[in-house]
Formats: sequence, structure tokens, C-alpha cells
Amino acid sequence: MTEPNPARTDADLGRTLADFSVPSEPGNERLAMETVAETATNLGIAGENLERLKTAVAEATMNAMEHGNGYRPEVPVELQVLATDRDLLVRITDRGSGPPPRKDADAPDLEAKLEGMQTARGWGLFLIKSMVDEMNISGDEGHHTVELVVHLGAEGGK
Amino acid sequence: MDVRHLSVEVRTEDGIAVLDLVGEINGFAEEAMNAAYAEAEAGDPKTILLNFEGVDYINSTGIALIVGLLAKARAAHRSLLACNLSEHYVEIFNITRLSDFMSVFPDEQTAVGEASEF
Repeated sequence: MTEPNPARTDADLGRTLADFSVPSEPGNERLAMETVAETATNLGIAGENLERLKTAVAEATMNAMEHGNGYRPEVPVELQVLATDRDLLVRITDRGSGPPPRKDADAPDLEAKLEGMQTARGWGLFLIKSMVDEMNISGDEGHHTVELVVHLGAEGGK
Repeated sequence: MDVRHLSVEVRTEDGIAVLDLVGEINGFAEEAMNAAYAEAEAGDPKTILLNFEGVDYINSTGIALIVGLLAKARAAHRSLLACNLSEHYVEIFNITRLSDFMSVFPDEQTAVGEASEF
């Protein structure tokens, strides 16, 4: 099994543009998504690149609320938006224990889902990976962090 | 932030059952989606069209709901179509391969016109 890439350390990072949390309640991924989008817009991310980032943030926040925090409202999901000269980074942290999600999880098999051989769910991680330039996952005994990276400038976005 | 719960109107256009979706397609939408699909299916149409004009948010749980409808349609040998998706959600339908199994049209008129020729 491939070990997930560690998230960057604070020493690697530049400016913190936003630092906030949302309660783990269904629907709050939109609050996280819109807050990150406002920050990203100020960095010049727009159009389809912005929409992709919003989807990735929403899905990562949903995973954190559901799988990390068990949708317990009193347990927040923490989000940080950071910028280096080249990248926008969004770090999404839950209070989950156990191994972090696998970065190299298999792509969903739509045909198997349509035949009822797999659950219809299971799209989140696939969508996240498809929407950003990099996704890194790290974890310790009480936290999981998913880091989303979008390259800034002309080459940015997928 | 308030969730825009999904509401669905079902109507018939040239023999095609059209589901007008308004709101968010997420975990809260399951009951409304399934009830509307059942209402549409009651008329035994050959084709069911999902009209996404009033939808501004679809998450992975919403994708799973659409997969569920598509599975039902295929089992009953019906065509399930989509129209009025935003550019972003057309991309999502492409990368998830949903668009391999349900034709996606830019607008309702085009969808109904093409479906009439099925």
C-alpha cells in the first residue's frame, strides 16, 4: 500500500488567508465552500477553476464531517486557506482517529454501481482528486488533514 | 447557511416525462427525487428527462442519487436524459462517466427533439 503524502509543514507555507471552522452538520460543507471561494476569488481564481476548487472543498469537508467527526455538531471541522507564491492551499482537518483515508483509493466503477454490485455512493475522494492539482493526506492519533493544492497563475487549475 | 431543499415538478412533454429540479441535489434530496421519479414512472414513459435548470449545487451524495435513478431507468429499459446542467456539472458528469449512460443536452428543447427520435 502506498503511504499517503504528508501535508506540508507550516515552515513550508506562506500567508494564512483564512482560518475558520464549521460544526459537523449536514449542509455545512456549503458554508466552508463559499468561505474558501471568497478568499480564492481575491487571489484571482475564477471561472471553472473556482468551481472545481469549490467542489473539492465541499467534498473534503463532507468527508471530514461524516467519516472523521461522525456528524457530531459539537466537533468542528477546521479549515485553513494559505498561499505561497505559486500555490493556494486549503487544509481541512477533522478529529478522526484510525488510519487516514487512502489517497490512492480506486476510482468508482459506475457500471458495477448501476448493476447493484457496488453502493451508489463513494464518489467524494474521486471528485476531490479530479478537481485540484494535488491532494495530500496526513493524520495522527486524533486528526486527519486533507490538503488541497491549486497552482496559481496561467497553469493553475485542472 | 440555509440549505435550498430540492423541490421537483413532474410534467409531460411530447410523451417524455420531465422532472423540473429546483434547489440542491444532496443528501436532503433523496425523498423528493425518488418520489418525483416514481410519479414520472407511473405513466410508463419511454424517456425521462432530468431538467437541472434550477439546480446550483450537486454533491457526491447527489451524484449517488442520480446513479440510483439511472439504475432504475436501465432496469426498466427507459432512457434517462439530462439537460440544462452548468458547464461545471457537465464536467462532473463526464469524469464520473454518467454522461456515458445518460445523454446530456444543453437545453430542454434539444433534449425533447432528440428524444422524440429514439
